[in-house]
Amino acid sequence: MQIPVARPQASWTPDRASRLKYLCLVPVVLYDSIFFLLPLVFLIWIGFWSVENYQAVPGFSIANYSDIFSQFFSRSRYAYAIAQSVWVSATTTLLGLLLCYPFALGLVFLVPARLQRFALVLAIAPFWTSYILRLYAWQTVINTNGLLNTVLLRLGWIDAPLQIIFTQMGTRIGLLHYLAPIMILILYLVLRNIDQTLLKASENLGANLWQSFWRVLVPLSRPGLVYCVVFGSIISLGDVLSGIVLGGGTGKSLLGSFPLFSTVILNEYAASTNLPRTSALATLLIGLMVIILVLGLQFAAIDD
Amino acid sequence: MTQQHQPWFRRSLAAGGWVYLALGYSLLMLPILTLVVFSFEASRFPTLPWTGWTWDWYQQLFSDGKLLQALRASLLVSPLSAGIATILGFFAAYALNRFNFRGKKALTIMLIVPILVPPLILGVAFLGLLSRINLQGHLHSILLCHVVILIPTAIALITLRLMQMPKAIEQAAWNLGATEWQALWRVVLPWSIPGIAGAFLLAFTFSFDEFVIAWFVSGFEPTLPVSIYNFLGSNLSPTLNAVGTIVFLMSVLLLIGVELLLLPMLLAQPTKTNS
Repeated sequence: MQIPVARPQASWTPDRASRLKYLCLVPVVLYDSIFFLLPLVFLIWIGFWSVENYQAVPGFSIANYSDIFSQFFSRSRYAYAIAQSVWVSATTTLLGLLLCYPFALGLVFLVPARLQRFALVLAIAPFWTSYILRLYAWQTVINTNGLLNTVLLRLGWIDAPLQIIFTQMGTRIGLLHYLAPIMILILYLVLRNIDQTLLKASENLGANLWQSFWRVLVPLSRPGLVYCVVFGSIISLGDVLSGIVLGGGTGKSLLGSFPLFSTVILNEYAASTNLPRTSALATLLIGLMVIILVLGLQFAAIDD
Repeated sequence: MTQQHQPWFRRSLAAGGWVYLALGYSLLMLPILTLVVFSFEASRFPTLPWTGWTWDWYQQLFSDGKLLQALRASLLVSPLSAGIATILGFFAAYALNRFNFRGKKALTIMLIVPILVPPLILGVAFLGLLSRINLQGHLHSILLCHVVILIPTAIALITLRLMQMPKAIEQAAWNLGATEWQALWRVVLPWSIPGIAGAFLLAFTFSFDEFVIAWFVSGFEPTLPVSIYNFLGSNLSPTLNAVGTIVFLMSVLLLIGVELLLLPMLLAQPTKTNS
């Protein structure tokens, strides 16, 4: 005899008809549309406003841009600032990669497995402290009468204080200290997920350490390397604080004593509170980043 | 199988590796140590030789109104913005994780992009919009702007956690008679708590430390980083070391949270029953 069993009705709704989908997504989309998309579109539009009697006047004029480009190589020297930004950003990213990759390798291959998590926490610890305070601390270290110079002078290794602060090398130190925890984390996660039997196989097939490293490990870590490069470039291009606190505003580099473009934008606004003009400059920066991103993507695609 | 390298080569390579790691850690920790150590040094110019111990800088910090006020402002804005972003982010992450629909890729990109745009550009953009509707210059202005850049963080971390969730448990809840909402509230949400907590911690840190947007938008109600920046310009003094040490202690607390919540999640292998 069949005993009728009362089953609870499955009351879920198929994904297509789900109202929850809209309930979950509408708040974020609405918020982002108002407070993210709108300001960005507005930014580009404000770049075309004009300034009369110290008031920003809506309209459509290319006065800001023609003004900027007329000063591109002369008075405000925006071109040099852009070149400086690109140069510092590229060198910083490269340096960061060269310094963090061995560090991540050490974490994955040298540190015993049960200590790795603690080692990782320690390595990303600086990320959780205040960036601006870290920069101030670096100032204390690399200043002309700071920690580094005092120690080196007393040891007799140098005769006169090293001028690191207020050069772009100082900026790079600040940026690297900011990027390092993140790069180390990305590279560690990527390296950790690489199948180590592949390396053993490579050795079995006769490769020496360097060959296994260069022809197996590095290509396998490519996604991590790409993330680091993209991340590093964008952050360094947009960074404002390191250039001012450690770079002194117009830090000296191989290119010369030019400010970073981001510093220029910040200082120009501080000096003039001319929003249309600052918006135009910011739009230029957006354009620059888009160009670099597109070039980067092309470059990454070519390799395949 | 040929012996590719003598053992001594591997050992010296490993030794070199350890030296490099030690050097790396020292450099990573150097600024923090400098802050803490020199916050107790008597001399006004933090340098060697050591001149003496003092609590002066901490006393000065607590008697100075501005830095403390800014600290209070930051402690108000950051948890609130992190909280709002985490809530909005949780629902978005859930929807993105469960549903597939046309335009999903574009939507995901739009939700993640805010964290990729440099804060400098966002600062100018926010100022432009807010000044038109007269919302700039207050703490709530910073709150509104920070939420925008914190949402991607929240979505990313909570998604990470949701990807570890076996789809079966939600479907099982449905089969047993739960409505979508009940399943979300009583099955998915408890599972996501490590992700939500980790997202909140990370978002809090980002907001607490954020300088550029706050600089453009805050006006006369600065948050801590903006206030410190003003100090760096005019009133360079070792009280900054004292602030740094206190903020660092806060970071240690956050770090403990990371160690307990975030890293296990990041380092875990996804469950095999995921479809």
